[in-house]
Amino acid sequence: MNDRLSLDAENLHAGYCMEDIVKAVSCSFAEGTFAGIIGPNGSGKTTLLKAFSRVIPSSGILELNGKAVTGYSPAELGMALGFVPQDEGRPFSYTVLQVVLMARYARTSRFAALAPDDYTRCHVVLEETGIAHLSDRSIRTLSGGEWQRVLIARALAQDTQVLLLDEPTSHLDLSHQSDILSLMRSLAASGSTIIGVFHDLNLAAHYCDRLIMMQNGQIVADGTPALVLTHEKIREVYGADVVTSFHPATGRTFLMPLSTPPGAIAPDKTQNVLVISGGGSGTDLLHFLSRRGYYLKAGILATTDTDYLTVKALQIPCVEVLPFSEIPAHSLAEFRDLLARADRIILAVHPVGTGNLPVLLALREADPSRVILHLPEGRDFVSFDYAKGAAAAALTDLCAAGAQCTASFNGILGLLDIAPHERAQPPV
Amino acid sequence: MTRTIPILVGLAVTAILTIVLCIFIGPAGFGIPSLGPGAADIVGGIRLPRVLAAFFVGGSLAVAGAAMQALFRNPMADPYILGTSSGGALGASLAIVFLGGFFVPVFAWIGAVLAILIVWSIAGRRGVISVETLLLTGIAVSFFFSALVSFLIAIAGQNVHQIIFWLMGGLWNVSPSDAILSACILVPAGALLFFMGRDLNALSLGEETAAHLGIDATRARWAVLGGCTILVASAVSIAGAIGFIGLITPHIVRILLGPDNRVVILASILVGGIILVISDTLARTFFSDLPVGIITAFIGAPFFIWLIYQRGDSR
Repeated sequence: MNDRLSLDAENLHAGYCMEDIVKAVSCSFAEGTFAGIIGPNGSGKTTLLKAFSRVIPSSGILELNGKAVTGYSPAELGMALGFVPQDEGRPFSYTVLQVVLMARYARTSRFAALAPDDYTRCHVVLEETGIAHLSDRSIRTLSGGEWQRVLIARALAQDTQVLLLDEPTSHLDLSHQSDILSLMRSLAASGSTIIGVFHDLNLAAHYCDRLIMMQNGQIVADGTPALVLTHEKIREVYGADVVTSFHPATGRTFLMPLSTPPGAIAPDKTQNVLVISGGGSGTDLLHFLSRRGYYLKAGILATTDTDYLTVKALQIPCVEVLPFSEIPAHSLAEFRDLLARADRIILAVHPVGTGNLPVLLALREADPSRVILHLPEGRDFVSFDYAKGAAAAALTDLCAAGAQCTASFNGILGLLDIAPHERAQPPV
Repeated sequence: MTRTIPILVGLAVTAILTIVLCIFIGPAGFGIPSLGPGAADIVGGIRLPRVLAAFFVGGSLAVAGAAMQALFRNPMADPYILGTSSGGALGASLAIVFLGGFFVPVFAWIGAVLAILIVWSIAGRRGVISVETLLLTGIAVSFFFSALVSFLIAIAGQNVHQIIFWLMGGLWNVSPSDAILSACILVPAGALLFFMGRDLNALSLGEETAAHLGIDATRARWAVLGGCTILVASAVSIAGAIGFIGLITPHIVRILLGPDNRVVILASILVGGIILVISDTLARTFFSDLPVGIITAFIGAPFFIWLIYQRGDSR
């Protein structure tokens, strides 16, 4: 990777009408970077971007390709730095090609015509951004997403080292988002310096090598997505709770907002409920019960399990084990202890193989009258059995011994409301 | 566009034909032979300067309108939007009321330029000027000057007629020197605006956009406003506040040739000139020299409405 700096800001202050919106920002961007600026509304992201492009006056040091930005003439700046705005007024019916050709104005004398090369370059970027078919259309007839791609194409046609993007994909659909951002990533890979403002943190995490998180006009975190997008940082800056994880398909940092922040509802039920789940079978149930104020515990979960993420996000105590290994004796003992102390035990039925069969066998030893089985509608025990019948047999046995079985969450609530000793004993 | 050049050439030919034809039309009859003795005086001394002045004034107003619409990113803008016409009207009214009608063109010119200077300095007080601030200040200053003009009309007594005719705009008092003067202003100012055509294209998408595209937006704005001020002030001082040409001509041109301002600037000069020459010929030939502003508005307003409904989008 090249170490030459494309953009270097030190102690940068910028804003409108005497009031600083960006305060004392220092950051630099090397060639070949794709950086994302993130932060809540009003944190100064766009202002910082516009200070970089010199349309908002700033104080402090700002260098572009090793030279002070103030030393650039307007035309030189137009050849060194491109900018994609969030949106732009369209008062006149220019054709798409006419708008993209404006990118070449900085390179053309006002007394000369645009060169054939300028047209060639513009046709190339129209192809790259997937709008070649629109080149003769009036810009006033374009959809928001098509217009956004025109703005991106125009910035690309400026052929600049630095490209600044202000929410470049806010109007784009899923496939165009990935097309455009992949294009940006490949530009960065070939040496361009791309800096974008993003609202969609997952998109930013997926495509950027580096994220800069802003709050109140200052940089509060700067680094790789995994480093910046932590649960704590996001709660601190956005005031929102998320689960951070790695996307299973891409391996990039990945966030999910939580509708109920952990700890927002204090457990107010006296019942102590142990939830046994796996592979995501307990995710919804844990949220459901947590929202209703049950005091929850969970076990036994491997640290790669989806339910493990839920348990961590909801801050539920849990017996945890390493993935793909035999359950150690001390974990099983700990689990047995939880079983013995739980007022109620809910098994969210999940696939059971020889690896996690010991959990089920330990449950079989517990008092069946305290056990509730949550079996999804239309499924039977056999369909979850990967232990050659042993799991299905244990579950059937459990039911016969008095465990209650229900398919709905409300059914579970109903059963939780009746204390085990009040319930009629099953006929022997 | 491949049809741009043929259309521009066609417009230039139409302009020349219109000028030539209209020189031979007038209340005294058609053509040179029918006029008999004194024909050379009528054609050369009266009609020629008047037709040429009409062409240059029409072209000046139309090209200023085109540039202002691009600069203000608003197809409803007209060349008088920064107070030129009300400033000119105030100057002219003052000359009519207090100087007995002498120096009306000079006072009108000074009034028009003064109005713009006042708008600039008020809008520019806080350093960075947005076009929105300019526009709003222009409207406010226009209203203020119009109030003063109304006051002068109220106290003008027997001069009321003269002020009102000035306000409607006409080319009665045009002298050969006026025709030369308006040409001497239109040619360089028109060339300036033509070479600012790309800047205007970029500016019409926003000042920040223009800056990002490598345009010196501030300098371009002052150059365009400066050029328009001189053009409009001269037109107003020669012919009064003729309406509608500056508003409508750029629309007609954009329908014919698209919105690229290099083309729009050139074509607006030609089309604006043609429209005013024809309107003025109608006025002096068939309506006993009615103020031409009445004709342009009378034909222009319905035509504009027709355009809006015909195109749905006349930008």
